[in-house]
Amino acid sequence: MKSALTVLSFGAVLAFASTQVLARGNAENGKKKATTCFACHGADGNAVDPQYPRLAGQYDAYIQQVLHEYKDGRRNNAIMKGMDAALSDQDIEDVAAYFSSLPTKLDTLQGHIEGDK
Amino acid sequence: MRHCDPGGNGCSRAQAASILGRLSDHVSAAIVRMISMTRPQLLGFAVASVLFAITSVHAEGDKAAGKKLVYTCAGCHGVPGYTNAYPQYPVPKIAGQNEQYIINALHGYQKGDRTHPTMMAQAQSLSDTDIQNIAAYLSSLAK
Repeated sequence: MKSALTVLSFGAVLAFASTQVLARGNAENGKKKATTCFACHGADGNAVDPQYPRLAGQYDAYIQQVLHEYKDGRRNNAIMKGMDAALSDQDIEDVAAYFSSLPTKLDTLQGHIEGDK
Repeated sequence: MRHCDPGGNGCSRAQAASILGRLSDHVSAAIVRMISMTRPQLLGFAVASVLFAITSVHAEGDKAAGKKLVYTCAGCHGVPGYTNAYPQYPVPKIAGQNEQYIINALHGYQKGDRTHPTMMAQAQSLSDTDIQNIAAYLSSLAK
């Protein structure tokens, strides 16, 4: 019984640890590093041109994930590949921390599907 | 005179000619009106036509149809903080996202420019019209 509990608690610790794969960056540093992004994504992270995504308030870890994908080609986009090339892992964490911290116009689909309201 | 559709059957040459003649009268009247406009009027007219041209570049999506289609999306995108299985990262918030970006993203999954397996499979099932409708609905949700 005791050993079962030990195993279980190890499992719980591991499960918790694995959700923290992507570290949180520094939003203030991110703001300085993100100046290039503002031209398309807006200084407030709400792109005016509808072909570019709003980043304000998007999940931190999602932005990090996507920046890595553009960088290594899993997402194939000429503009973003060029922008990403110069970003280190730390830069990506910081830029993502900045944009995710901004006031958002985004939401999940909760409450927005047929039958919800 | 019998009612007659210039493109259809049962329309004599004379009738068609008279309809076309009346049409061209309207067009020339419109041109005369434009020429006689003052400068501010002309400017306003030009701005209005440009705005109209911009908004009609891509077909307007149907939000109500889009709302029905996003039922499937909500399985993942409707759960706050829901994470992708592997690698672990949260599924993005898509309500309120920009319209053309959503259109481009879904086409990207169809073409393979974006490689997320679940999203590739989902996008394959969507027509161009479906994608436009989804984008119209999602972008309309901006807070």
